Amino acid sequence: VETVSDIEAHVGEPVRRRRGRITSVELLCVVLVVAILGQPWLQSVLDVPALRTGATVFVAVCVQALPFLVLGVLISGGIAAFVPARVLCRVIPRRDGPAVGVAGLAGVALPGCECASVPVARRLIGQGVAPAAALTFLLAAPAVNPVVMVATAVAFPGEPGVVLARFLGSLGTAMVMGWLWARWGKLEWIAERALRRLPEVSGGNRWRTFAETARADLVDAGGFLVLGALIAAAMGVLVPSEWFGVLGEQIVLGVLVMAALAVVLALCSEADAFVAASLSAVPMLPKLVFLVVGPAIDVKLFALQAGTFGRSFALRFAPVTFVVAIGCAVLAGWLVLGGVR
Amino acid sequence: MRRETQNILLILLGGALLKIAITGDYLRYVKPSQQPWVIGGGAVMVALGVVAMVRDLLAARAGAAAAPVEGGGPACDEHHHPARSAWLLMVPVLAVFLVAPPALGSDSVTRTQARAPQSSAARDAVAFPPLSEDQVVPLAVSDFVARAGWDETGTLDGRTVSLSGFIVQDSGSTLLARMVIGCCAADAFPVTVSLASGGGVGPAELAELEQDSWIEVTGQVVPGTATRQNRYRPDFTVASLRQIPTPKRPYEF
Repeated sequence: VETVSDIEAHVGEPVRRRRGRITSVELLCVVLVVAILGQPWLQSVLDVPALRTGATVFVAVCVQALPFLVLGVLISGGIAAFVPARVLCRVIPRRDGPAVGVAGLAGVALPGCECASVPVARRLIGQGVAPAAALTFLLAAPAVNPVVMVATAVAFPGEPGVVLARFLGSLGTAMVMGWLWARWGKLEWIAERALRRLPEVSGGNRWRTFAETARADLVDAGGFLVLGALIAAAMGVLVPSEWFGVLGEQIVLGVLVMAALAVVLALCSEADAFVAASLSAVPMLPKLVFLVVGPAIDVKLFALQAGTFGRSFALRFAPVTFVVAIGCAVLAGWLVLGGVR
Repeated sequence: MRRETQNILLILLGGALLKIAITGDYLRYVKPSQQPWVIGGGAVMVALGVVAMVRDLLAARAGAAAAPVEGGGPACDEHHHPARSAWLLMVPVLAVFLVAPPALGSDSVTRTQARAPQSSAARDAVAFPPLSEDQVVPLAVSDFVARAGWDETGTLDGRTVSLSGFIVQDSGSTLLARMVIGCCAADAFPVTVSLASGGGVGPAELAELEQDSWIEVTGQVVPGTATRQNRYRPDFTVASLRQIPTPKRPYEF
């Protein structure tokens, strides 16, 4: 079966495609056969305690995050097929300032992990929503939704201040990033494919567009999610556990180390509160930084963003998000919790 | 990468998710309440792959192979760039079908010891209710450790409890451990109990227990042994001990 995409993929090649050329299907078969034949060897190689732990963490992150990515691509497909661009333009304010505010609060409505929001934000941009608003949604959705807030309240019983501080810190991060983008962001940083607008569809073609968009988004983003999971698993094994122990007194160091840990561990935003709560040697402020930075930027998200919006976007957006998230968390902690504690 | 390959990968990956969700292996990686998500995600992935394949085949048969996506713009719009990253989807497929990584064990305990709970923050909202009146009370290891460390009413003292967990032989001492997860195995932290010989179980027998083997023990806490200095790891006098198979649910929550 030959399809348009394949033909187009080869248009740039000087040599026309010939019969008998090795295609990715054959390559896939070879990889599978080799892997099946090499299974005993594969298992013996992985029979080292550290590698075994890493493999388990890797599969765990994939199993935990892939369903949320699927949810995200379904929403993305739904927007592409059923929400015409002109409806979005009417709902979302035209000016960047108010649009960022609306997008931040809209994040409350998508209860999912961070992986779900990347394809949705990309589709919003594709449908003509101001990038500043879509990026605000990208950062707000995983951090301020009710599921995460309830999980935080359960992890920190009797301390409603933590929940409020987390909400304000995360929402603040999302909005500040939105406004920063509106002021200084450049459209050309975003890869051209993420900006391309889908043609308007109608009637019977809607379901086809829905399935096709969801499928393409899933293939695009899935590989990068796997890459992020690989890095997170490697870091989970490599980061010495003493990092958690020595943060008692050094508040500045504590904030920086907890922020770095949030990035490299790539925990799900519904679970990070339990991890933070279990670290009693760490004061409250670094814990709050951990909770605000984690959903905004981690290795898994960085890989997803680089794959979806392009490397030159991710290399600018991620470090700024990191700094802004630390700033917002410290400010929220200072306002709500009244200092370091 | 060709469309067919992408569809095959999606079906394989969705199939991998469905397989572990149905066989129960998913409990090694995530908590039980994630099961509907894993099944749903896997089913949607398989469906997307199958639908695209069937549509391509039908279009090819209809002789419209040159324009199978007329009206369905995205397929031809989005794959100008070679989706090389999609090859990475192979990695979890191979990991699940060929390697099937086991639940976290002793290696994680030694690796993440510093993440062991050092406060009962998540637990003391509900005060410790008295144990049931049975002769031997089965307890979760995390519950046992929390009571040993923070229960000031002494509900554990003098009571015989039974615990199940895996063995960690750590620099001369024999520990019974269990991993506790909040969402998935990436956020797991260990709870441990230090086993001490007593009753019919001698020190040699404890020292010979194999790393990562699962056991069920009955016995009593040594009061006052869970302190801040030893990261709230209580001592446990073992009265009886038996080997058990690895449980379906290896983690506590």
